[in-house]
Amino acid sequence: MTRYIIRRLTVGLVQLLCLVIAVFFLIRLLPADPVSRFVGLNSSAEAYAQAERNLGLDRPIMVQLGHYLGILPAEGNGLLQGDLGTSWVTGSAVTSEIAQTLPVTLELLTMAFLFALVVSVPVGMLAALRPGGAADKGVFVYSLFAGSQPEFWWGLLFVYLFFFTLGVAPAPLGLLSPLTSSPPTVTGFVTVDSLLAGRPDVFLEALHHFMLPVATMVFILSGPIIKMVRQNMVRALGSDFVLYARCTGLPRRRVAFYALRAALAPSITLIGILYGFMLGGAVLIESVFSLGGLGQYAIRSILAFDYPAIQGVILVITAISLLVYLALDLIHAFIDPRVTL
Amino acid sequence: MTAGATRDPRRSRADLLLWIGISIVATAIFLAAFGPVIAPYDPTLATARVNIPPPRPADWPMLAWRSIAGSLDTPPHWFGTDANGFDLFSRVISAPRVDLTIALAANGLSLLVGVFLGLLAGYFRNLLTECLMRVSDVLQSFPVFISAMILVALAGRSTVNIVIALALLYTPIYIRLTRSEVLSQRVRGYVEAARALGNPEVVVALRHVLPNSLAPALIQSSVTIGFAILLTAGLSFVGAGVRPPAPEWGLMISSGANQIILGEWWPSVFPGVAVSLTVFGFAVLGNALETRYNN
Amino acid sequence: MSNVVPEILCAENLKVTYRTPGGPVSPLVDFSLSIREREVVGLIGDAGSGKSTAALALMGVVRPPGNIETGRVAFCGQDLLGMSEEELRSLRGRDIGIIVQNPRGALNPMLRVGSQIGNVYRSHSDVGRKGAAKHAVEMLRMVGINDPERRVDSYAHELSGGMAQRALIAMALSSSPRLLIADEPTSGLDVTIQAQFLDEMWSTVQKTGSAILLVSQDLGVIANYCDRIVVLHDGRIVEDQKVVDFFRAPGHPYSRSVMSLQRNVARGRDDSPATPHSAAGAVADAPLVEVRDLAKDFPMRDSDKVIRAVQEVAFEIRPGETFGLVGESGSGKTTVGRCLLRLEEPTSGRISYLRRDITGIGGRDLRSYRSRMQIVFQDPFDSLNPRWKVRRILREPLDLHTDLPRADKEARSRELLKMVGLSDDILDLKPKGMSAGAMQRLNIARALASSPEFIVLDEPTSVLAPGAVSGLIDLLRRLQDTLGLSYLFISHDLTTVEHLCHRVAVMYLGQIVEVGTVDQVFNAPQHPYARALLASHLFPDPTRRRVDSPPEDALEGEIPSPVDLPSGCYLAGRCSHAVNRCHAEPQTLEKLADGRLTRCWRIGAGELRTAA
Repeated sequence: MTRYIIRRLTVGLVQLLCLVIAVFFLIRLLPADPVSRFVGLNSSAEAYAQAERNLGLDRPIMVQLGHYLGILPAEGNGLLQGDLGTSWVTGSAVTSEIAQTLPVTLELLTMAFLFALVVSVPVGMLAALRPGGAADKGVFVYSLFAGSQPEFWWGLLFVYLFFFTLGVAPAPLGLLSPLTSSPPTVTGFVTVDSLLAGRPDVFLEALHHFMLPVATMVFILSGPIIKMVRQNMVRALGSDFVLYARCTGLPRRRVAFYALRAALAPSITLIGILYGFMLGGAVLIESVFSLGGLGQYAIRSILAFDYPAIQGVILVITAISLLVYLALDLIHAFIDPRVTL
Repeated sequence: MTAGATRDPRRSRADLLLWIGISIVATAIFLAAFGPVIAPYDPTLATARVNIPPPRPADWPMLAWRSIAGSLDTPPHWFGTDANGFDLFSRVISAPRVDLTIALAANGLSLLVGVFLGLLAGYFRNLLTECLMRVSDVLQSFPVFISAMILVALAGRSTVNIVIALALLYTPIYIRLTRSEVLSQRVRGYVEAARALGNPEVVVALRHVLPNSLAPALIQSSVTIGFAILLTAGLSFVGAGVRPPAPEWGLMISSGANQIILGEWWPSVFPGVAVSLTVFGFAVLGNALETRYNN
Repeated sequence: MSNVVPEILCAENLKVTYRTPGGPVSPLVDFSLSIREREVVGLIGDAGSGKSTAALALMGVVRPPGNIETGRVAFCGQDLLGMSEEELRSLRGRDIGIIVQNPRGALNPMLRVGSQIGNVYRSHSDVGRKGAAKHAVEMLRMVGINDPERRVDSYAHELSGGMAQRALIAMALSSSPRLLIADEPTSGLDVTIQAQFLDEMWSTVQKTGSAILLVSQDLGVIANYCDRIVVLHDGRIVEDQKVVDFFRAPGHPYSRSVMSLQRNVARGRDDSPATPHSAAGAVADAPLVEVRDLAKDFPMRDSDKVIRAVQEVAFEIRPGETFGLVGESGSGKTTVGRCLLRLEEPTSGRISYLRRDITGIGGRDLRSYRSRMQIVFQDPFDSLNPRWKVRRILREPLDLHTDLPRADKEARSRELLKMVGLSDDILDLKPKGMSAGAMQRLNIARALASSPEFIVLDEPTSVLAPGAVSGLIDLLRRLQDTLGLSYLFISHDLTTVEHLCHRVAVMYLGQIVEVGTVDQVFNAPQHPYARALLASHLFPDPTRRRVDSPPEDALEGEIPSPVDLPSGCYLAGRCSHAVNRCHAEPQTLEKLADGRLTRCWRIGAGELRTAA
């Protein structure tokens, strides 16, 4: 098991390195001109050259890469030393900017996944009890629908409905209202920090602001999760071993448990893939609700041609995805003995 | 065998869903071809009337009659106008030409390349195809939406660049799907039989294995087209897609986003319904294809 | 006299119905059956005839989404279908045991085998977790699993098919049921182990006064173990008879079609092809196909070891001859066939076709050689391109190997269909929906298209219903007579081999252990393995029941892995005649006085000449 984890982490690191290098070259090969973005199109050649020098774009590309990776000792810190570079827009360290924005995204995703699972798993199971029945049909059409929706648009609809019309939700303008002083940063997660600081009012306010974005995401996520749980449960209930368990006179509850476990195990893989997918997909919801998470940071950096920030975002998102996959594979192996590590 | 004779009501309900899907997709394709032609206003030309709400549904029959009778000076704004004075109805029905074209082209390109590479990787397993799979792995571990943003924003916000970016991101899916199907088909008896009959390997691969390995990729196509529409709209929404004033659903939703807090819902809602229905239509179609294939 | 024996189970007018999108479907209609004490009742029928549905319905279980629409089941006088859920539950698994098909699929993949057995035991008796765990070990030991203390901790996927089958048997028997329902209980087992199992089950019934419903498609099993036979056809019982009477004179037309092969064999082997019929006397003695020292290794994933699938195989096939290759699964017989056609590259050895070495040829040579030599595979459905119509399937070899004009190809396709007994109006159909027998005929037609001289038949009858088998065997013989074909017939079914072959080779673990005429090998096998194989084959003849005269040639233990083969004779570990030299010395094929070859030095030395 330990050996498996080490092997997976090693493979993951190699994969990350390939990715970093691929992204590094990709963004430099694309015909964008970050320099003129910063100095303006009408700047003098001198100012242009100065800016190019400041950004380090005048040096040979391999040197730039070496500098970024931190394998050129003369050039100072790089990736190897845990330094993601400096943002060209704000001038502050990408690492600290990501550390500020990432917790919001993780909070949003984790809450959304918890609620989505709590809602979707029972619904999927119930639908599977009578496949082809009216309830099953309805649930199925719902899952097909929810799984194919533009989340940003639903976010806006929710805003219109719950903020403008009903007035039960706050305006989509960030996590805390400008008048609220944020709690001191300990973990970076507002909900956790507010509790640590003993400020339940801030905690509740944050939850209130998370309400609509989480609801939007739960709606979108419920589609694929219900569909998958239902499908796996139908398969498990129709399987030979459940039939045989009934034939051997096992009590109903135990037969149900056999089916449940068999249905949940394969669902885990998909949840991991969804999590990784949403990590990048949260961009749109964050932008609708101005949550200031990693996704919005990504938008800002990309539109501003802020190369170090772009590279940092991709690296962090992929690294987290790989870790989530690994964790869920371990859980899967724990539930399903057929999966060997 | 006599199953077709007696029609079960539940079956026809499943058919109903399929027909809904087909009609949505057909409408979208029709609008992609003729939307800008039948639009009452030029979708890229602003009128002087700004932020007009849509007429109440109760007034629609009257308006329709009067516009047919020709007793109106200008055609009615069925969906209202937005902050720039664009007629929303014209823009919503013209948008498929942008959205659907991008989605179909990106899907077609990635399908073509992905199936071809997938066949190679599955049928001829050697060092080269192994490398291909590793490259495809790395490509697939990119976060899709952010990568698409990067590609389009840095390459330039043009339709062609969006198509290429989406195709690049979707190709690994098709490689993987086709490869795994080829792997399971190439050990089937009919492939062996074709070889035993004296067919050269290339003929076995192209004439026997390829046609029998297409189904998963084709089914996935319907889903991918839907997601490509979502992605195209999403890119415009964050400002990394097609440029205004092109009639595009995501762009329209985005331009109405600030008004929705103020209660002006129509600039965002109508294009959103269009995206929602279109993508749902493709999802239904994909599901129906999958069900038929599995049975 | 039989009506004094108490009835254990009595089912009346059972009807099972499934709701499907296309309307209700009833795989079982009007099913009535009674089983008495000490009775073994056989239930036969084609795939899809409702056998398994019936077996489950007798314990009140239906695979979802079906239900028992009408009917009554009485078990020891109690109304089974009228009971409460809880009463019925406690009856299942305690008074009625069941062994189902696909034993590995029937075990819960997520739970250890021991706790599954324990769960069943605990749901029928008042023991704790510990007691149940101890019981599980005992049960596994009882069904002959080695090292049961370790095996209780295994999961289903870690067990071989045979091992899983035993675990199921352990569960079924753990509470000494009055009635055992066994649905193809030996389908996953090798023949040598199958007989052993059925023997045990049969003697349990005789000892404890219980009863068995034995669902099977194998007439050999029915003839050897059952007292009565019930024939299901399209969901209805068409015949319910004593086994002896059934084999003498089956009543229903369907039963007669099932029995036709057996009755042909029973007619005696006078009409069996004793002398190869060949056109030119000059060629007659020259072998058509000659195999020398053939070996095939398969590399193993993540390991330097190899699976030694075929070793030192040598034989020859003369024009017009049918050469049989028999053995259990994993004996390498299929690999030999595939090597002959170069579908598999031999690791070493030499294959000659009409004296020409064909092991190294490629390109055009290989293609022309493939027009003269064809193969028919085991799974008829799998070997036809599912997207192609029959016309295109038959056209393909004609396009490859002939220059006929289009119209002639069409005529030739129709002729081919006629040759294999199919109507030519199927030309525009796709294979889907055709019966397995028809598909296999189509496969044969395709193989015949290039007018080959030699055809490898790789278990062509193994997935066919009993009724279709005899038709296919007759067809193969007729084609041989009219076209002068030679066959390599690969099969594990000794009954069909006996009926079709002139000479036969017995394979064990990749080697040929005995070659001789069918008469020699079937009537007086010499090699200990050949003897055991023949002895465990259940010939479909109720007058020669195995249970009446237990054979003495049984083998012990399990087949060694083809990765770690023993150093001496491969059979030495299981052979009751083995002496030290057998374990030390690899064996070679030796010629005996009567012309046959065996791979056993003790026979060559005259030490084992007992069964002749």
